[in-house]
Amino acid sequence: MLGPSTTWYVAVAGVLFGIGTTGVILRRSPLIVLLSLEIMLNASNLALVGFSRHFASVDGQIFAISVMAVAAAEVCVGLGLIVAFTRRNMALDVDTLTELRG
Amino acid sequence: MLTNLLIFLPLIGALVVWAAPLSRGETAALAVLVALSEVAIWVVALVGFDFGSASLQDSAQREWFGDLGVTYHVGFYGFSLWLAGLTVVLGAAAIGFGAWVGRDRARAYFGLMLFLIGAVVGVFASQDLLVFYVFFEAMLIPIYVLVGVWGGPNRITATVTFVIYTMVGSLLMLASIVVFGLSQGTFSLIDSGTSGNEWVFLGFMIAFAVKAPLLPFHGWLRTAYTEAPPEVAALLSGVVSKAAVFGLVWIVLPHFPGPVDSWRTVVLVLAAAGLVYGSLLAFRQPDIRGVVAYSSMGQMSLIVLGIFAANDLGLDGAILHSVSHGLVSAAMFLLAGMLIHRTGTDRFADLGGLAKGRPALATVVMVVGMLTLAVPGSANFAGEFAILAGVFTQGWGYAAVGAVAIVLAAMYTLRLISAVLHRARGEAVREESRDLRLLELALVVPLVAILLALSVWPTAISGHSPGLPTQGSSEATP
Amino acid sequence: MIAGAWLCLLAPLAGALLITLAGTHLSRAAAGWISTLSVFVGFAGALVAFLQVAGESADERSHTSTAYTWLAAGKFQVAMQILVDPVSLTMMLIITGVGGLIVWYSMGYMKGEDEERRYFAYMALFVFSMLMLVMGGNLLLLLVGWGLVGLASYLLIGFYHDRPEAIAAAKKAFLMNAIGDAAMALGFFLLIAKTGSLDFSTAFDAASSGQLSPNTANLVALGLLGGAVAKSAQLPLHTWLPDAMEGPTPVSALIHAATMVTAGVYLIVRTHAIFEAAPNVQHLSAIIGGVTIVVAGLIALVQWDIKRVIAYSTMSQIGYMFLAAGIGAYGYAMFHLLTHAFFKALLFLAAGVIIHHLAGEQDVRKMGGLRKVMPYTHAVFLVGALALAGIPPLSGFWSKDGIIASALAEGGVLGYTLLVLGLLGGFLTGAYTFRLYYLVFHGEPSELVLEHAGGHMHEAERAHGHGEHAHGEGPLSMLAPVGVLAVLAAIGGLIVIPGLWEPFLTWIDGVAEPLVTASVTQDYATSAAAVALAGIGIWLARWAFVAGRELVPASALRTVFEHKFYFDEIYDALFSRPAQLVANRLRDDVEVPVVQRSLGEIGTGVKEAAGGTARLQSGLLRSYALVIAGSVFVLMVVFVAVR
Repeated sequence: MLGPSTTWYVAVAGVLFGIGTTGVILRRSPLIVLLSLEIMLNASNLALVGFSRHFASVDGQIFAISVMAVAAAEVCVGLGLIVAFTRRNMALDVDTLTELRG
Repeated sequence: MLTNLLIFLPLIGALVVWAAPLSRGETAALAVLVALSEVAIWVVALVGFDFGSASLQDSAQREWFGDLGVTYHVGFYGFSLWLAGLTVVLGAAAIGFGAWVGRDRARAYFGLMLFLIGAVVGVFASQDLLVFYVFFEAMLIPIYVLVGVWGGPNRITATVTFVIYTMVGSLLMLASIVVFGLSQGTFSLIDSGTSGNEWVFLGFMIAFAVKAPLLPFHGWLRTAYTEAPPEVAALLSGVVSKAAVFGLVWIVLPHFPGPVDSWRTVVLVLAAAGLVYGSLLAFRQPDIRGVVAYSSMGQMSLIVLGIFAANDLGLDGAILHSVSHGLVSAAMFLLAGMLIHRTGTDRFADLGGLAKGRPALATVVMVVGMLTLAVPGSANFAGEFAILAGVFTQGWGYAAVGAVAIVLAAMYTLRLISAVLHRARGEAVREESRDLRLLELALVVPLVAILLALSVWPTAISGHSPGLPTQGSSEATP
Repeated sequence: MIAGAWLCLLAPLAGALLITLAGTHLSRAAAGWISTLSVFVGFAGALVAFLQVAGESADERSHTSTAYTWLAAGKFQVAMQILVDPVSLTMMLIITGVGGLIVWYSMGYMKGEDEERRYFAYMALFVFSMLMLVMGGNLLLLLVGWGLVGLASYLLIGFYHDRPEAIAAAKKAFLMNAIGDAAMALGFFLLIAKTGSLDFSTAFDAASSGQLSPNTANLVALGLLGGAVAKSAQLPLHTWLPDAMEGPTPVSALIHAATMVTAGVYLIVRTHAIFEAAPNVQHLSAIIGGVTIVVAGLIALVQWDIKRVIAYSTMSQIGYMFLAAGIGAYGYAMFHLLTHAFFKALLFLAAGVIIHHLAGEQDVRKMGGLRKVMPYTHAVFLVGALALAGIPPLSGFWSKDGIIASALAEGGVLGYTLLVLGLLGGFLTGAYTFRLYYLVFHGEPSELVLEHAGGHMHEAERAHGHGEHAHGEGPLSMLAPVGVLAVLAAIGGLIVIPGLWEPFLTWIDGVAEPLVTASVTQDYATSAAAVALAGIGIWLARWAFVAGRELVPASALRTVFEHKFYFDEIYDALFSRPAQLVANRLRDDVEVPVVQRSLGEIGTGVKEAAGGTARLQSGLLRSYALVIAGSVFVLMVVFVAVR
């Protein structure tokens, strides 16, 4: 098997996922939260692809492509929301956007 | 094919009504048209039905979740065809009533009514537990909205109570369905075998006991029946409660023979108690709809007595009584609606003296009242008699309680009739309050006519209900 | 013959439907004619059937005709069938014959009444129901007719529906009858459980062959007796009948004298096989009859309402029929039913003429001296009163004395007790009938009578042109039926002359073989005693009237009679109040607080739980994320640790 071993892929994916999680939890701008989410999704994609290579099966890659498609759709919605917020001059701060509070 | 048409025509009609930008009048006309074509389709199905055969007819089957053993499977047995007929006829009458009253937000209203009819027909046609569950739930949703939006002043309370009760029942039933279906490996009502699991049995029983309602599960009854618009109350008591009959007859009886036997006494005692309880309370209600509500509770308890009588006599009687009670209670609710339309109230204290100079109204109310109290010779009497004769074999006490209930039924119905029609003119009744007009007669008279026809020949139903699970085990031997 | 019978059954139904459906398109007179004619068409049908059956040999006179299966459920089947035999034919002829006369009479009596069409539809419906009762070819159809006559009776008693007393009386009648219906239905359920059928032949064969255990036979017979007692207003379910006099007078004549109230007697005769299998119950019905004769007779002595006196007299006379049926003298029971239909309908209709003439007054204290003003009515009323009192050779004499003689022939403690009750009843009958007669027709004309005597002169002159019968006492359509009934009441009893000529008894015996037969000696002995006692009663009534005294002087006893032996009060305290109390208690103490309030509590509970959960939904996105991440971390640790 060429290239680095699967462990490295998984390790990088883990680190990326951690970064993304931290971003989602710590940052208050919805834009950055979205970016961090993308990082988390990419981390999982990387893990999927890595495992796919490890087991020599294409299942993981197919999943990864599906995830990308979903991620693209999600970003569209997310960005649309952010644009809508901006248009209404609402603060771009996830802590103030608590309309769905129970 | 016919069955699918019968189920999906009103559902599609509902979608069309919701989507198409029709005016109020057009919406009403379309809804009435759909409801009438339902009746026509049902008549076609009836004409083509072979009552000599005890197998499923007009069936349609399609793979759904194959791995789980779930198929979309619908069709009719003799007895369920009658229940479906009851649904389409009462549905047409109720939609006609809605059109006559001119309900506001017409598109939403008529769409929901059509949806309700389609779902109830689906319940009676379903031959798969999951299909049954889907239609059962689909039937409840429009009711929530119809009661909650078009109901009386306390409609929110009524809706919330109704939702809580039915939700609890439905969830228990869902759990039972899952357990039963997985243990049988199929959800088909025809292929699955029997189960002795009492918990699963109880899950079904409670769901149906809420729907009927049986004695301790009737808390939603009074507010739902009186706060709902009259035509919705007519469907609730006339048709929706019969979903419980279908469930008991077609799910509980054939698939849980063991638990049915061991719980028979409990159910019979509850039903007998509910019969007297409902009849007594009906006797003290201050308004027409209250009386009909509690009388419905009593009559449904009576039907449950027949279902659990453990013989064909009681069961056939229960089917007959389901149809005749459905027709008569719906007619009563519609009449109450017409009186409210005239006088603004259905409280006995404000009514009275309506017979004077209103011959059509007096005749119709009197005839419906006499059918309600099951005057001998009526279809209701025939059903009641068969049920009580059937349940007599389970113990003379049940029949004696039934006999007491006959007297109580006479008491509350006569009270209703004389409070509405007789004595001096009530406060809410104005001299110019009119007699029933042609349109109103067109809504009620067909129901009465069907009942009178059934009175002439009750065998039409009681002797033409093939497919009922045989209950011959403890039948009296001549 | 069968066609005639079906015609008899269906013609009145067709009449009722026609009047109902035509509604206001039909003139009032037309409704009256349709009703009358439909009943007379029924009479013609019955007559045809009668003539044919009478021509057959005695053991071939029972015919059943089945139309279709009325109710089939499980293995239980009941056919829509009619039974034509001597007993049902007798009833059919009475119902349509007397009924036709009374409906005809109604056209005069009800003229100008509001909602006249409704009245005639109800009358035709009643005749149909009553025919259904007597022609029904099995027990269930009998019960159907039984219930439908109760319905028709309810509708007609409550005909004046703006009068609260009329409505209350109608409801009471229906309820009492519903109790009877329920008792009967219970008996039938037992019969179904034991024999699987309600056919006459199956049930009677099972009873007479001893297939039913004595216990079963007793219970079934008790159920039947319960129904019979309620319908025929015998003790203790009799309180509805006097109140039923709130209905129009022709209704009282048809339903509460001639036909419906005698249905109980028909029932016992029809199901005599079951009663014979339960001799104790059969004797109970005789005792009930005997006690009712006396109790009703005593109450009748102190009533002031002309119709109520006749109503109590009806109860008393039906007591005789029960007595006869209870000791197995079925022929005489039916015979008294027949003659009673004639003379009691006559008395009611004559009373109706008086009430009509006096514009609705029913209190005998305001009448008096009517003999001079209404000679025709006086004559026919006297015929009816004498027939009722059992004075030979009028019809009541022959039938009543046959019953008393049968009691003597029965012998034993039961027979002699019944004999004494019957004779005492004869004395009371003479007394109360002639108390009424003298109060109404003799003495000086009262103010009310004088006032109305003038008012009708104009009409009287017109009426003169129509025939010698009309003397300004009422329209011809009222006076003619009364005349026919007077003739029947006078000669109707001549179809049984003991020892010489007994075609009617032979006719009935073919269906119901009597258990006792009085010898001719016994017959004449009891006749002499009964006529003497009735004569004493009449003489006493005359003496009291002339002396201006009451028959029963004011005393505790009179109070008891005036309160009708306190039956109403007892029932009110025993059943009516407790039922209302229980219902109210259930509503106030169970339904509202437990069921409906618990509902509120369930609602509140759910709301609170929901509120608690809702607080977790802060809407802070980042805390959600933290919780998710934390949970994942915990899960990972757990997963690894567990592994």
